[in-house]
Amino acid sequence: MPRNDLQGSLDLLVLKTLSQRSRLHGYGIVLHIQSASDDLLQVEEGSLYPALHRMELSGWIASEWALTGSGRRAKYYRLTAAGKKQLQKAEESFEQLVKGILAIFRYA
Amino acid sequence: MSILRRIFNLFRRHRLAHDIDAELQAHLEMRIEASLASGMSLEEARRDARLRFGNPVAMRERTLQIDAALVLDKLWRDLCHGLRSLRKSPRFAITAVVTLALGIGATTAMFTLVYDVMLRPLPFAHARRILFLQERVAEWRDLYPALPVSANHFTFWQQHSNSFSAMAAVERDSFPLGAGDHALHVNALAATPGIFAVLQVQPFMGRAFNAADATSGHNRVAILTYRLWQRHFAANPAILGHIIRLNGYPYTVIGVMPRSFHMPPVATLGDSVDGSSQLSLLVPLAFSPDLLAEAMGDLNYAVLARLKPAVSIAAATAELNSEQHAISASLPPDEKVSLSVVVTPWQQLLVGKDQRPLLLLLAAVAALLLVGCVNIANLLLARAVGQRQQMAVVVALGASRAEVLRASMREAAILAAAGGLGGLLLAAALLPLMRHFLPPALDFRRSLHLDVAGAACAIALAMFTTLLAGVAPAWMSSRTAPRDVLHSESRLASESRVSRRVRRVLVGVEVAVSVALLLMTGLVTASVMHLMRVDRGFTVARTLTASIELPQQSYSDTQHRVAFYKTMLASLNQLPGVRAAAITNVLPMSGDGWGDSVRITGDTRTWTQLPEEQFRWVSPQYFTAIHLHLLAGRFIRPEDQGRNVAVISERTARTLWKGKNPVGQQFHRGGLPDERPFTVIGITADAHTVSLSSPDPMFVYVPYWYRCGVVAGLIVRAYQDPATMAADIRKAIWRLDPGVAIPAVHSLGGLVADSYANQRFEMDLLLLFAVCAVLLAALGVYGVVSYSVVQRQREIALRLALGARQAHVYRIVLWEGLLPVLGGIGSGLIAAFILAHTLQSLLFEVSPYDPVTAIAAVCLLFFIGAAACLLPASKSLRLELAGVLREQ
Repeated sequence: MPRNDLQGSLDLLVLKTLSQRSRLHGYGIVLHIQSASDDLLQVEEGSLYPALHRMELSGWIASEWALTGSGRRAKYYRLTAAGKKQLQKAEESFEQLVKGILAIFRYA
Repeated sequence: MSILRRIFNLFRRHRLAHDIDAELQAHLEMRIEASLASGMSLEEARRDARLRFGNPVAMRERTLQIDAALVLDKLWRDLCHGLRSLRKSPRFAITAVVTLALGIGATTAMFTLVYDVMLRPLPFAHARRILFLQERVAEWRDLYPALPVSANHFTFWQQHSNSFSAMAAVERDSFPLGAGDHALHVNALAATPGIFAVLQVQPFMGRAFNAADATSGHNRVAILTYRLWQRHFAANPAILGHIIRLNGYPYTVIGVMPRSFHMPPVATLGDSVDGSSQLSLLVPLAFSPDLLAEAMGDLNYAVLARLKPAVSIAAATAELNSEQHAISASLPPDEKVSLSVVVTPWQQLLVGKDQRPLLLLLAAVAALLLVGCVNIANLLLARAVGQRQQMAVVVALGASRAEVLRASMREAAILAAAGGLGGLLLAAALLPLMRHFLPPALDFRRSLHLDVAGAACAIALAMFTTLLAGVAPAWMSSRTAPRDVLHSESRLASESRVSRRVRRVLVGVEVAVSVALLLMTGLVTASVMHLMRVDRGFTVARTLTASIELPQQSYSDTQHRVAFYKTMLASLNQLPGVRAAAITNVLPMSGDGWGDSVRITGDTRTWTQLPEEQFRWVSPQYFTAIHLHLLAGRFIRPEDQGRNVAVISERTARTLWKGKNPVGQQFHRGGLPDERPFTVIGITADAHTVSLSSPDPMFVYVPYWYRCGVVAGLIVRAYQDPATMAADIRKAIWRLDPGVAIPAVHSLGGLVADSYANQRFEMDLLLLFAVCAVLLAALGVYGVVSYSVVQRQREIALRLALGARQAHVYRIVLWEGLLPVLGGIGSGLIAAFILAHTLQSLLFEVSPYDPVTAIAAVCLLFFIGAAACLLPASKSLRLELAGVLREQ
């Protein structure tokens, strides 16, 4: 099972995920990234949590404990206003990066 | 906000950890549920969840670590861990802490002393601008590189110099204070009014000296020090205007100095700086018109000057030198000399020749600390090797390399912190003790105590030792490869080659440092021994000395003084038990005194070109009292009273009357051709009465009836132990005149011992440091060897079981242990020889390359090293073979 190195883009993926769904727990974020990318992207699940914790401390996301559909207690995350701004910035710089890389690919 | 949050998180670490645990657990459970739903077995589902998730413990730690503020918490936990692991081996912990406390404490105490003496500015505003000015006479330069200043020249400088904001001539003086019985002896500073501007201090009560006070005839005013005011005048607030008796004369008190005023001693030529004499009062220094008229005059005064802010020392020196040039040009032909000036920052002058020995001591104590650190590094290294399995498990469980490094540094850090604290306490306790033993020349501030500088030194040392002692073991354990360690089957798997090499190098270093320290200590000790055993040429047994001071008022002329001294000596010589009582101007080991020149009849050179001799005025019994040897002629006798006779020393005879018999020859004092000539009546053998380390200069003894002062040195030689005689002597003198001050009575032996007190102090400290260093080095060798013996127990047991002889085992162990010792001895010797030349000036009659000392030091360390090796070897041989082999 190859793992994509998501080191740099994990924050972006998490923020984007949370912007598409109002609130999700960690496991839900993993599932969403997996399914939305047609199984192309797989996160090392444990490493999600240090990232979530860091983003929460930076004020981009907020969390609360709630019950899941199956009645289990889980910690749910949602995007804050600061998080939305951060997402916008991250998206822009990612697009720049992709454009740049593609330009180099197409260089003849 | 996030910082607040982080800090807040710090206080709820437990809840946070719990929270994260719950979150991670929920994640895992949801994953397992999903897998079960898709048809996996429970076992498979769990395994799959763990694989996808990674190491939950590590993830939890990493999540927690996001809170930077948790570092504090982490430190606390480190402390607890470290303490716990140290508690498991209390003997090691105590040894290490005590070693470090001793090392840090001694180094801190020594540093405080060095800082106090050499670096701390004097207690005056902008003290670095205070300069000490001296004259240099090119013609006498060999004998006196720098001389005090004459009144005339000082006045000239004061009038013509632009480099200084203030200038003052000062002179130390001492007189009897109070009238009537048993006058109090006080030390005074006679100073021109400029002294207050130079030091930038003012009396806290009353006024400073003004120009009128410094004119001859109007100078009977005094300013008290706070201490004298408190002790002798009961802090009387109405003291101003009081009349006190000094030297028998009435002086008006015009001021009291502030409590903080403390004057370091100002030494002019010939004074031995006596730091123990505290200044009690200030009187104005007034130059008489006659004195000022002398173009050369007596070179008598110490001059202090405050440099103006924008002026450099070089510029000031240049200006003064041009003034000296002008003075030289105007000197009368019979006094022609070429003058220049010697400018020294005052503090530098005060520290002077003590600088080198102090730095040597500091280096020695730092070396001792180094040896201590190396020892602890070695012990920690041994522990690290012992804990390899534990470390390997920790690494296998996912600890990062940084984590392991920290874990192994923390023991060193805790030890160093405890050692630093202990060292600080030790230094605080040591310093008052040290002050007690401090030779007077090093105690000119009288304020030695532990302060911020010392504490900073201790903290820096503790940090330094952490690094020094902790870095090698930490490095070793951070290289742990868990697989290798865990796979090796034996509990006592042998130490890696690298670590063994590091340990050997460490032992080599401590042996090297010890051998160098031992060698230097040996040289200094040998010097002091030589100094103590030098043939002084006079005896000190059963002899007391005292200085006595006649009140100037009643004894202002020679005639009265001679009369008093004659009666006094007569009554002292009649005291029961007294063999000889005599007076002189300068007691042995108390510096130079009256320098003058001899003009042999027929010599026509100007007096500045005549060679200089030391003149001593003495009473006839002087020679018997200190037992000087007579070589020819006879000593001065009481029947010579009134005649100008003289006894000269062997060196004087050899130099001035080359090849002739001086006895019966006549001479004049250099500048006084019209006086009655002196007749040489005897020659004494040269002795060491000025300094033990060098033979006396040319001496000329003249009788006290020719010349004597109000201050005299009394020497009393007894038939028995004279300890109880001090009171009798005082009583006998006071019966004649109760106004005579007799400040202190010492044994002559004590004066001689005081003259090498500095060297003794250095030697005692060095001996202490060297013994400690050698013991530590022995401990180091012992530790390394006994550790490697334990490591090789099985090998040794096998060898013995297979029939190896004990001698063979000894040889193996000795070789193992002595290799680093020999390497250390070699490099230590090389280092010591390279550094030896810095020691040269501190040694007396010992070459810094003295082979005997070197061989002794090498042998001592070699034997101690060998003993430290043999002990564990013999222990290993006593073990029961079968037991060892079965155990593994």
